[in-house]
Amino acid sequence: MLRQPLSRALALTSPTRAAPLAARRFAEQVQARPDNVEVFIDDQPVYVPPGTTVLQAAAQVGVEIPRFCYHERLAVAGNCRMCLVEVEKSPKPVAACAMPVMKGMRVKTNSDLTRKAREGVMEFLLVNHPLDCPICDQGGECDLQDQSMAFGSDKSRFTDIHFSGKRAVEDKDVGPLIKTIMTRCIHCTRCIRFASEVAGVDDFGTTGRGTDMQVGTYVEKMFLSELSGNIIDLCPVGALTSKPYSFAARPWETRRIDSVDVLDPLGSNIVVATRTNEVLRILPRTNEEINEEWLADKSRFACDGLKRQRLVTPMMADSRGNLTPCEWEDAIVAAARALRDCPPDKLVAVSGDLADAESLVALKDLLNKLGSENTCTEQYFPLEGSGIDFRSSYLLNTKIANVEEADFVLLIGTNVRFEAPLLNARIRKAFIHKETDVALVGPKVDLTYDYMHVGDSASIVKDLATGTSAHEVLKRLESAKRPVVILGADQLKTQEGSALLAYTQELALRLQDKLQDKNWKVLNVLQRTASQVAALDIGYKPGVGKVLEAGPKVVYLLGADAGVVTRESLPKDAVVIYQGHHGDVGAQAADIVLPGAAYTEKRATYVNAEGRAQQTLVAVTPPGKAREDWKIIRALSEVVGERLPYDNLDEVRTRMSEISPALVSYGDVQDNNYFAQARALAQSLQKPVSGKLDVQLKTLEDYFMTDSISRASPTMAKCVQAVLKQKQSPY
Amino acid sequence: MFKVISHTANLTRSQLSRSLPAFSTSATRLAGDPTSRKEAPIIDNESVLTLPEKAKERKALDTAIVVPVKVDLSPITGVPEEHVKTRRVRIYQPAKNAMQSGTNNIHHWEMEFDTRQRWENPLMGWTSTGDPLSNMKVQFSSPDEAIEHCEKNGWIWYLDIPKTEKQFKPKNYGVNFSWNRRTRVSTK
Amino acid sequence: MSVAKLLALDKVAKLFNIIKQNGGIRASLYKLYKQEELKDGVLVGEDKFGNKYYENPRYFYSRNRWVEYSEKVHLNYDASQVPAEWYGWLHYKTDLPPHQDPSRPHYKWMAEFTENLSGTTGQYTPYSTTRAKIEPWVPKPKTGA
Repeated sequence: MLRQPLSRALALTSPTRAAPLAARRFAEQVQARPDNVEVFIDDQPVYVPPGTTVLQAAAQVGVEIPRFCYHERLAVAGNCRMCLVEVEKSPKPVAACAMPVMKGMRVKTNSDLTRKAREGVMEFLLVNHPLDCPICDQGGECDLQDQSMAFGSDKSRFTDIHFSGKRAVEDKDVGPLIKTIMTRCIHCTRCIRFASEVAGVDDFGTTGRGTDMQVGTYVEKMFLSELSGNIIDLCPVGALTSKPYSFAARPWETRRIDSVDVLDPLGSNIVVATRTNEVLRILPRTNEEINEEWLADKSRFACDGLKRQRLVTPMMADSRGNLTPCEWEDAIVAAARALRDCPPDKLVAVSGDLADAESLVALKDLLNKLGSENTCTEQYFPLEGSGIDFRSSYLLNTKIANVEEADFVLLIGTNVRFEAPLLNARIRKAFIHKETDVALVGPKVDLTYDYMHVGDSASIVKDLATGTSAHEVLKRLESAKRPVVILGADQLKTQEGSALLAYTQELALRLQDKLQDKNWKVLNVLQRTASQVAALDIGYKPGVGKVLEAGPKVVYLLGADAGVVTRESLPKDAVVIYQGHHGDVGAQAADIVLPGAAYTEKRATYVNAEGRAQQTLVAVTPPGKAREDWKIIRALSEVVGERLPYDNLDEVRTRMSEISPALVSYGDVQDNNYFAQARALAQSLQKPVSGKLDVQLKTLEDYFMTDSISRASPTMAKCVQAVLKQKQSPY
Repeated sequence: MFKVISHTANLTRSQLSRSLPAFSTSATRLAGDPTSRKEAPIIDNESVLTLPEKAKERKALDTAIVVPVKVDLSPITGVPEEHVKTRRVRIYQPAKNAMQSGTNNIHHWEMEFDTRQRWENPLMGWTSTGDPLSNMKVQFSSPDEAIEHCEKNGWIWYLDIPKTEKQFKPKNYGVNFSWNRRTRVSTK
Repeated sequence: MSVAKLLALDKVAKLFNIIKQNGGIRASLYKLYKQEELKDGVLVGEDKFGNKYYENPRYFYSRNRWVEYSEKVHLNYDASQVPAEWYGWLHYKTDLPPHQDPSRPHYKWMAEFTENLSGTTGQYTPYSTTRAKIEPWVPKPKTGA
């Protein structure tokens, strides 16, 4: 009965003999939907859609079937056999991860047969698995370890140690992030499936059969992916472990603090593992709306940059202009004097990539109290037309999770793969599972999936927007039910930025108006940094060009390390105050350095590219004399004589909610409207464009070091070196 | 404790509901009236096998003690005022360890306090903290219980709920081999 | 039992004797000020630091061997100024003072005796050999300008 095809099993309308009684008995508990199939997991009835696997059905009633190869975000492989369960009337145990349910199926997940099957599988796995748990990095968080305790046999029949011994496999070198101990591999192929399905890099595979089977890269090769760290998480044993974290700590020794990543604009949720006041590693935390359970390599491995090149004490320039350490009082008094003596119109504040919303608000309030309106961000955004008045003009309005639902994605001047790796993973997911097609206007880059390359000239966007393009993409866009247009914020820096934005708005709105689904948003602008959205929400002016031309006297850099404010672009007598956590471009140009806290050291708000406010939590204490950023500005305001009216974090957040409630509604994201108004205001900006679109991050080596934390990280430096070396190799 | 109460409460409730006719129209339950039933009541093994005193105890647990007013214990707990007024409690569900696929230890709610300063102790190099609440993680079966506990102790709390449940999508082994879809696997 | 003993005159004589041996009233008062004790005894020896070692079996055991520290240290005397070779005699580990003990080893690699230097500028300060957890940024010195 179980062998019959699924369609026939579903077509069977006559209920089995057991069903009516059970249905009546539990009628109040489970609502049966007509198209759902009833199955029994350990005699508990559950209604699941047809085609569901036994393992998924069991998960619905909270029965967890042990597994190694099965992963809910990867394709079903069915090769570890750990999920074998007994099904009534079936002659053999079935693999729950691959077996679709059939009507009235009675699954026994804890019967003698099931237990015996698990024990047998476990025994086979352990025959060739080294018993080196005490020196294995996975020890303590190892699926094999746990499952052999829970489901394995209590004794060993392995006696072959003197004859052929255990199987041993040579370790592979797959780059500076992943350490491989291939003898521990149990061939679950999760890493292979991740590489080919999610990362889109078909580097991994198996060679050989039986005892000779090996997982590897065929030829010795680095795993060239920006998502490579995830295979460490996926590996159920210690075959793939983190190289920077190797032999560093055991999982039970660390303290885990849930936080938010700020090294890319998506704000992935992370868990920061700390011990002895040190950040040891960063792991992803599941959030279906942002990062699912993946994490990009920069966010995961750049954490050792938090220990290098840190500003640990305030500094002031001495008579020869060299920065020398000093006390907080001296630095604050000097900074306050500079701020007070400066004419308001010559006072400028520039915020950087990693600035949090609290300090942005405090700094803007301070400058406004001093009479200056010159607060700006390093990243540019056109102010013509509606500018930053409407939130919809600078956000990912579709939302990251909804990109999966799209049926056509148009990327304009952005290399999503490196600007927001997990957004690219979503697009790839849609590409594979939803047959979504992707088109790109901009330089030809490797996005890990096939796309239509429309060209790299800006005039293509104009043609698409006005509907005069002869390209196939226009037809596809217009026929799409859920199109998505993503514009890279880098393109807006140029002279033609405002026109490009105007055309993109025009195109997106034209598509949106025709859609059946009125809630679907088409227009997306992908920001490059974690702080930009919050800064624009608060009212920072994008771009520093104009204020620098005016010849400022005092420049307050709030973590501005992108190098847009240089000593050369300022008048000779200008005073530069730098507040931040790393000694990078900004601190080198400064006269007064105020040490702040990095994102793992403060409780701070960051708004991600889709406009979702999230907060980081304190994992470790700021090093040395460094302090939380908003507190520094608050202290400075006291000395300047313009006291800011907040004394604790709650009061700062109250002030933030006065500016924009979106800044404090943690975890939520509002729908944006006013697209039509933005479009109307942008009508006049639709000037002819002729330039070429170019992106900053083209290949993998550009990806690793983009901000002050990752530039200070030795691991990231090693990655760049390894990628460059891999480029030399013939493979 | 809470777990036990809610668990036993669930137990008894399901017994009751199971023995009730599904289409009863009267508000009062006539337990002794055999005509109200179509078939013999199903008595589960546990209720037959429990000792009388055990059953009594369970019944006593089942009747919840209702405290009429909101209580604030903070003046009498002896917790220093600094650790009542200035602390912030985060109520959350523990995140699944990304390194493992098991989910057995994350089906509860936890509260934790904000992290205070830690420093390296100069004697042994160990990490010290002046925060007596830094290791206080209390588990609850529901966020309501955690909130109630916090309010009783006068702590400011907030809930932190990332979206973790995903849309249910049946997995399929066959798509690996479908000839016209992009899910077809190239490497094996 | 003599009359002198009955009248405790021998004690007086002993006192005078002690004062005499210590070099008169003035010197005795100075010694009393310095070491809060006045004793008579046989000078057993003197070490290279100028500490003098006395013995008088008349005193009770454990008080019958003592050291008078060198004049150079004045009031800054300290038990650790007794060198290792005299330490044994002073603490009754041996009855042979170092200069009369033929079996005492003398090797050329033996280090010079030093007193305990804790609390002085010469004290031993341990330093960490582990790398600092946080590596601070060192600004590049400005060239020119």
